[in-house]
Amino acid sequence: MKRIILFFTVSLLSCAIQAQAPLKQKLEMSIDEVGNGAIKVSMSMNANQWQVWLQSLGNNPALLKRTMEKELPAYFLDNFKLEKNDMDRSFEFSFKAYGICQVNKRGKWIVNTDQKNPDITKLTDNKYMMVWMEPRNNIQQTQIIDFPPTARNIEINKDAFGKTQFEFDINTPKGSFHALFWPGLILSITGIVWLFILLFIFK
Amino acid sequence: MKKLSLPLVIIVVGIIAAGIPFLFSGSNKASLDISINSIPLIMPAAHKVYANPDALNGQYHLFKAKITNTGKKTLENVVVKYQVPGHIEWTEISTTGIMIPGQTIVAVCYPVFNPSVTSKTTESVERANVTVEWEGADHRDIIEESFTFKMLSRNDFAYTCIPSDEILGWGDVYDNDPLLPCFVTPNDPIVKYYTQIVQEKVLKGEAASVTRSPEQGVQFMLGLYEATRMSHMVYSGTKGIPQNLQDVQTLIQHVRLPREVITGNTGLCIELSVLYASVLSNAGLDPIIYLIPGHAYPGFKIDGQYYAIEATGIGGEGLGKISSAQEAYKLGMEQLDEFIKATQAGDPRYSIIDVHQLNASGVISMNLDDNDYLRKKVDEIAENFTPKHQQVIQYVQQPVSNQLADASRFPGPLSFLIPTGWVTYHNPAPGFPLLIAQITSPDMVASVSVYNIPASSAEEAMHQLKQYFSQMGLALQYSISGSNVQGTSANYTTTFRWIGKIAPMSGGYRLVAVGSDNQLYSQYTGVINSVYNSIR
Repeated sequence: MKRIILFFTVSLLSCAIQAQAPLKQKLEMSIDEVGNGAIKVSMSMNANQWQVWLQSLGNNPALLKRTMEKELPAYFLDNFKLEKNDMDRSFEFSFKAYGICQVNKRGKWIVNTDQKNPDITKLTDNKYMMVWMEPRNNIQQTQIIDFPPTARNIEINKDAFGKTQFEFDINTPKGSFHALFWPGLILSITGIVWLFILLFIFK
Repeated sequence: MKKLSLPLVIIVVGIIAAGIPFLFSGSNKASLDISINSIPLIMPAAHKVYANPDALNGQYHLFKAKITNTGKKTLENVVVKYQVPGHIEWTEISTTGIMIPGQTIVAVCYPVFNPSVTSKTTESVERANVTVEWEGADHRDIIEESFTFKMLSRNDFAYTCIPSDEILGWGDVYDNDPLLPCFVTPNDPIVKYYTQIVQEKVLKGEAASVTRSPEQGVQFMLGLYEATRMSHMVYSGTKGIPQNLQDVQTLIQHVRLPREVITGNTGLCIELSVLYASVLSNAGLDPIIYLIPGHAYPGFKIDGQYYAIEATGIGGEGLGKISSAQEAYKLGMEQLDEFIKATQAGDPRYSIIDVHQLNASGVISMNLDDNDYLRKKVDEIAENFTPKHQQVIQYVQQPVSNQLADASRFPGPLSFLIPTGWVTYHNPAPGFPLLIAQITSPDMVASVSVYNIPASSAEEAMHQLKQYFSQMGLALQYSISGSNVQGTSANYTTTFRWIGKIAPMSGGYRLVAVGSDNQLYSQYTGVINSVYNSIR
């Protein structure tokens, strides 16, 4: 997973970078059983920031969609939805990202964080949280990654370049018919051995 | 016979059970759905950008394939490959260990073209072939797709690849502008040779070792202008043709490379800007190209200060006036002032190409080979670099402090001069009323903060400020000596280092603090000290 930072707050932070507390952004990513991610980003702003955001992107969801597609070229995105709450000066932007998980040659499922040594907190067996800072735009992002219930052996490892990644297993369906092959084979061999004994040993 | 019936039944049942998976394998056939997003054109000049998944965040690729397993069978070792006949052999993009029913994989192709692609001087239509295969795939099951794209010539620059029905404004029409540094070739042996000759024959070594000095930088830029003027370089246009490519409508501009501008002794505004950027970069300066509606001009930046020159001032005998280096510099700086006003007003048509910053983002120039013929051409041109042709470069030194003299002054107690190009924000943080203004450098690394603090002493004012900072999660450290204050403010990722002055005003104290990110402080020392010394 490439770092998903909704950088559209850049323009509204052109001032007071050093003086203001960081903007806080929450990103929740729920991975389904086939490795796609449902992503939801939410954020609240002050009055000034809200006005600038509305003018730049908030009132132009199509541009927001294109911007996101440009920022995340490694995935296919669809099912975009933007919900604004003018009263609270907050928004929720959600979309679906295909191909969030990769499966390596050994069949391990992998989610890349694209970061070195991020602060990762385990919330539950299948839920992890990462907090990281984007200093240039002074945005603090909290990412919550929710793995599918069928995910097993979730481990935090590093790739060849030292970047942290999640690795896990998912039961691979082989099809119900495949389950009959080995019992059938054993049954056949048992019958042949039995027949051999009856015909040649106890004849 | 009766006693044999039971094992025979067991054998038959076992064979049937073991054979069922094979009997039903036909209905369990693999089925993949593929959709491909491809780009309509490739610019050979930018071939290193297309090849690099990290360049400009990986947004420039040949195609992106979305492959979904729509069958009921789990596939193993799914391999996506592509080729561009005549350019790229079959190359694997991705291998997926297993692909369960319903799973989608995304394969993004960053094509690695042979560097010789930059010798391509005509455009052509090329075909890309894509295949998806997996372990045990029947020959008939393998997915094969292909699409065509236009391969431009090495000199062609397409301004956008955004589909015409998606174009929203000026920025979209010139969406490919960040690729312009691909034409900036400081490492071209011919450009290096030209730079050496300009330093030797025009500047007489005066600015031969350009360091972090604005005066030397401007001196060098004027020398370069003088070199182009003495060689009778003329301003001339090249072809720019609007083209329709699939859903994209774009202007394709023929951009002569810096070596071609030098040896051809002619250039369009963008070509002259690219030439200046190449030579300035080769000389150790930080080149900038300013893009404005219908025009471009070059310059550089040092210590957060921006400089510009109107490179087309050379004009040509047929075009009327030929400006002197001083006139071209003056005009460039005037245009820069207008540029800054326009960007402050939020006009998206005015943009900066920061060559080195884009280089760091993976926008790298093409490799060009040395060429004896072109070196001889440079030698011929350099014969014009004689004292009898050369005007005296009467560069009136404009150190940062003098530049500040032309700049506006922030009003009120503890007024100070605002450096050229810096942007002023009044009441930038409504939740932090003590901060009444903030003035930031164009690259937003350095800034001046102005605080009005209701307090009865300087110490009390600083203490109050520290409390405010603390409430916002920022740690403020400072020391006061008379009216001079210095310190740092930090959150857990960055530290901002500053110096300033504090003085009484009606209703409290005013603090003016100027500084920058701690890691970049040394680069901004000149301008920070200049602002600090101008505080009255």
